[in-house]
Amino acid sequence: MSERAPASPAVPAAISGIDVMRGVGAVRAKGFWADAWERVLRRPGAVAGLCWISLVAFMAVFAPFIANAHPYTLVDAQGVRSWPLLANLSPSDWLLVAGAVAGVPWVFLGPSALRRSQRLGILVTAAIQAGLIVLLSSWAEGWLTGAARADAVKAFARGEWGPAAIAAGVALPVSVLAFLVPTVDGRAVRGAAAALVAAAAVLACAFAGGATLVNFEQYVEDERSGAIRDVTWAPVPWSPQYSRSDMVAVPPGTRVADWPKLSSYQGSAFGERRLLLGTDALGGDVLSQLLWACRLSISIGIVSTGISVVIGVTIGACMGYFGGKVDLLLFRVVEVFMAVPLLFLLIVAAGVLPRDTYVMMAIIGCFSWTGAARFTRAEFLKLRNQDFVQAARANGLPVSKILFRHMLPNGVTPVLVDASFAIAAAITVEATLSYLGLGPDGQASWGKLLSSATAATGTFVWWLAVFPGAAIFLSVLSYNLLGEAMRDAIDPKLRKAAH
Amino acid sequence: MLSYLLRRLAFMVPTILGITLMVFMLLALAPGGIGAGLAVSGGQMSDTSKVAQMQAYMEDRYGLNDPVIVQYVRWLGRISPVKFGMRDLRTPSGERVAPPREVDDPPLAGSFPPPAAPQVSFLPAAGEDAVPQFRSLQREAEGTRREYVGSVRLFRDALADWARAAGPEMAARLDAKGGARPASFEDVRFVPGDPACAGLAKAAADMHAKWLAARDAQARAMIAFRAEPYPKSGIPLVPGLVSLDTPDLGVSFSRNRPVADLILTALPVTLLINLIAFPISYLVAVPTGVLASVRRGGWFDVASGFLFLGLYSVPTVLAGVFAVGFLANQQYLGWFPVSGLHDSAADAMTFLPYTDAAGTWHRGYLLDTAWHVALPVLCLVYASFAVLSKQTRASMLDNFNADYVRTAKAKGVPRNDVVLRHVFRNSLLPLITMFVGIFPAMLAGSVVIERIFTVPGMGSLILEAIDLRDREIILANTFMVACVNLLALLLADILYAAADPRVSYE
Repeated sequence: MSERAPASPAVPAAISGIDVMRGVGAVRAKGFWADAWERVLRRPGAVAGLCWISLVAFMAVFAPFIANAHPYTLVDAQGVRSWPLLANLSPSDWLLVAGAVAGVPWVFLGPSALRRSQRLGILVTAAIQAGLIVLLSSWAEGWLTGAARADAVKAFARGEWGPAAIAAGVALPVSVLAFLVPTVDGRAVRGAAAALVAAAAVLACAFAGGATLVNFEQYVEDERSGAIRDVTWAPVPWSPQYSRSDMVAVPPGTRVADWPKLSSYQGSAFGERRLLLGTDALGGDVLSQLLWACRLSISIGIVSTGISVVIGVTIGACMGYFGGKVDLLLFRVVEVFMAVPLLFLLIVAAGVLPRDTYVMMAIIGCFSWTGAARFTRAEFLKLRNQDFVQAARANGLPVSKILFRHMLPNGVTPVLVDASFAIAAAITVEATLSYLGLGPDGQASWGKLLSSATAATGTFVWWLAVFPGAAIFLSVLSYNLLGEAMRDAIDPKLRKAAH
Repeated sequence: MLSYLLRRLAFMVPTILGITLMVFMLLALAPGGIGAGLAVSGGQMSDTSKVAQMQAYMEDRYGLNDPVIVQYVRWLGRISPVKFGMRDLRTPSGERVAPPREVDDPPLAGSFPPPAAPQVSFLPAAGEDAVPQFRSLQREAEGTRREYVGSVRLFRDALADWARAAGPEMAARLDAKGGARPASFEDVRFVPGDPACAGLAKAAADMHAKWLAARDAQARAMIAFRAEPYPKSGIPLVPGLVSLDTPDLGVSFSRNRPVADLILTALPVTLLINLIAFPISYLVAVPTGVLASVRRGGWFDVASGFLFLGLYSVPTVLAGVFAVGFLANQQYLGWFPVSGLHDSAADAMTFLPYTDAAGTWHRGYLLDTAWHVALPVLCLVYASFAVLSKQTRASMLDNFNADYVRTAKAKGVPRNDVVLRHVFRNSLLPLITMFVGIFPAMLAGSVVIERIFTVPGMGSLILEAIDLRDREIILANTFMVACVNLLALLLADILYAAADPRVSYE
């Protein structure tokens, strides 16, 4: 016994065989994942990668509060104080902040009645549920206010209670689906989570502002003329959609008033602002676009990889478990997707389909599942003749239970390790497609900024290449380092060699 | 081995069918459908009925008004080396001449009875006159068909106008876009004398006159075609029914040139870049992997692993933008050319560099090409270093643990001989299959690189085709890339069996 043994009176100085049988002095073995995770955290590269990813995720959530051309607060000519930044947050902004502020600490410090993995599962389900409600209700609103609808329907959808009613109508089926996801066995917990998220999403859709077109220049002019006072700006007082034609390709670090075309702002608060990372070819601030683009970077990697893992694991599980003709047939499908380089297929798909963020996530997910399918197939081929699977089959469990409850937890490891590399690849693909002009419209993106570095004929705008380029590189490198560390942590061959 | 080869080749057929069908469906799903790019070409014409006629002609020419699956089967028929039905002719310059197409009956033929049809009979010219006669008849058939197709479109517009005027019951038969499908008006009795029908009857009479002209011109062209002004193309298997012929990749919508020509000019450029990149990536990565495995855990192992992972994490786009911006742009270093594959004066250059009488040095064609290709190749190779050297290192380490290596060491074989002759030679086997993984990545990577460096290869071709929705080029490219890729896979398996006697496909 070492000198730093716990001062518990229950552990005697010497342990007899009887004590061992009783479990005295036994150290509870760490779980497979906890052990692997600890090994990952021992690698400085992986930790650095995690830090960068966390930073990007933080920026993704809080971008509206950090980079926004709406001031936090101002007092107008009548002496009334208003909060333009908060009033213009969109429902997804509110939900993201709420989820990050309440959900993330809950996962890490939550009640011990639920395991952390269960809490994580609930949070992921809640995120998907909230995202779907916001997305579908915005689609439904667009559809209901379309030109082909009757005037009464349009009036209702645009009315005071329209958004709330639409969101509630969408939230009901989505929340029922979320309730059915088997994150934990207790129905009360799942029901409470689904209801809470649904209520939050409906509230956000009903009361959040945004979507209105604003003239950011009005703030600047009003501040200069003294029409508003006591203005508190965000740390980066620019929005990605705020561009001025008299501010094109300003080099980094320039004071606004020092730029020849804006010298009339000399002496005003606007003139004292600094464009820390310069402006792009359209006259938009680069730093604010970089910060807002963290959202696309984080979401495109995770959502598209999520889609590909779900498709790949399902198909791979069927191939591995059933074998024979099913395997032969489905493997032809896998081969079809592998016959052409993925990027080639994605370029064709992104080129002909609408330029939309969700469409891009969907096509990346739907075309890159073959890796996950092959890994799962190989694992399931090994597992399907093992005793626990035979036992489950002999007990008459339904196939879906055997596949996803019994076999999947034992065979999902290679897929999860590969997912980290897949996220890195998805970020690369997004940058590539945006560079080729096939990226999503109306969304700040690192790839789009990068493409504008060489877009202007003959000139090369270095700050449009270096800053977004560094962000893309660091993100891809982080996921690759993390993937590498995870692969080494769970590879039994390497572990054996290390001992 | 032979039966294995045949089985693999047979399995390629459904794969290629699947991938081309998928791309075909994707193009059909796109907003505006397959013909979206064609509509652009009619944009400058102000007269809407002219635009409609032009559109109708384009749709007829490329078969775009048929169901997607019919179009796909027709495309397959062209791409397939086994042809059914009448064989094409081939001009001395290699151009393919298809038989003149049948002219469809006009819509609602029963409601507007056509005038009696004259019989066509004439003897085609023989000998020297055959080719010019066939050419002019073919042109006439094409021209009258174009007029006829345009008149059908005008007739349908007139039908839609009539239906809207005839009341809600008839207007309900129009489709969602307000167009008239003649099939849904089959049961309507049109009265030719009715003033409400006047416009419709005029359009129908015009259409029928043009139909007769087109049909007769087609019949005449067919007689001339049957007289075979050119030799027949392909090899007959069952005379008159089945023949073997080279695949026909079609004619580009946007450039109006055979796709095979376009690909044949673009492919060597892409291959040049890729074939230079391949040996470079092996030459750098394999020695690095070997050294890293010999000093496992040493500084070289760690440093090369980190450096290559870093390089692997640089997206090709990023490397390309930096290379163009900092190395090629005159604002900064300006060491390399910004775009293209040759200097504009390259055609006048000698192949090798030389110094002329005045003492000025000329770089010549070879060095000029190398200078232009340097940056694209650089951007293509660096990402494969990580994959290749990691694989080399892993298989070297596997072999270091093998019994025969311990035996060799125990016998006192010098360390260098153990590494190079025992371990390294056995570690080479997995590297053979590696190029299969790298090849598609490079093929795809060169799409991006060609756009960045404006190199006129396959990548530029496909990107331009996507912008213009040029179905024929996109499909032909998919087909080519899939074939090359699948054959590379097969080649790797064969090479693996040839290199390793333990592997057998019997």
